[in-house]
Amino acid sequence: MTATDPCTHCEEMMQPYMDRVVTDVERAEAEAHLDECAYCRKRYRFEAKLRQFVRQAVATEPMPIDLKTKLAALRTPLQ
Amino acid sequence: MSETTREPDARRLATDARDRVRFEEEALALSDQVYRVARHLVGSREEAEDLVQETYARAFRSWRSFQPGTNLRAWLLRILTNVNIDRGRRQQRTPDTQPLEEGDYFLYNKLESTSDGTTDEERVVERLSQNDVVAALSEVPHDFRDVVVLVDIGDFTYADAAQILDIPIGTVMSRLHRGRRILKQAMAESAVGGEEA
Repeated sequence: MTATDPCTHCEEMMQPYMDRVVTDVERAEAEAHLDECAYCRKRYRFEAKLRQFVRQAVATEPMPIDLKTKLAALRTPLQ
Repeated sequence: MSETTREPDARRLATDARDRVRFEEEALALSDQVYRVARHLVGSREEAEDLVQETYARAFRSWRSFQPGTNLRAWLLRILTNVNIDRGRRQQRTPDTQPLEEGDYFLYNKLESTSDGTTDEERVVERLSQNDVVAALSEVPHDFRDVVVLVDIGDFTYADAAQILDIPIGTVMSRLHRGRRILKQAMAESAVGGEEA
């Protein structure tokens, strides 16, 4: 494991940092680490780009137009 | 006497109808987002359409149980998840300790090794195709995929995802971590496999 990932302890920090669910102190720690660790910096840039890519890749299929019509038809009729 | 009681009743009914119409409009305005999440929670487009319809039918029936001011999108997704479970898609018993051979940087290493010398992170990502991503996502076991879809595609917070799936936040975090890893492995396999074909 460590052969392919020399900075495994950073994983615990990276996920919440990328998801922006960290406290100010944790964020400062994560940023300080990214400043000094080229490996994690590279990984962070890759992960950020990857996440954006995944989001775009799955968002391209629009909702079928007739489904919208069917959903609107489920509304309670006005008295 | 009956005159005085009928009037407040009529007013209450009118307010009720107005609130309901507003609720239905707000819920319908979110249907694209609900569908997008549903589409990746289940295997096919038909299933997703079906699931979204049933979700809206239930939501419109029980609109009074929605608390105005809270997250309507999360409320709808909670219904959707329940409908999905009711339909027999039981929660999968995938153990959280399922072994993963590779480290977290596996995908990057694979993509880099098959590219023409580029190590730039952004360029490396572009070696994946849209199909690689969609196919890889469908390979992630349900328990993990649900969390990845809600947080990474649906933009829900950990807390919302926990509420929607009725699991603790700690479980959201561990499944998210593992789910993203499984996703990356699957993407690496399809990308590298495509390269060799």
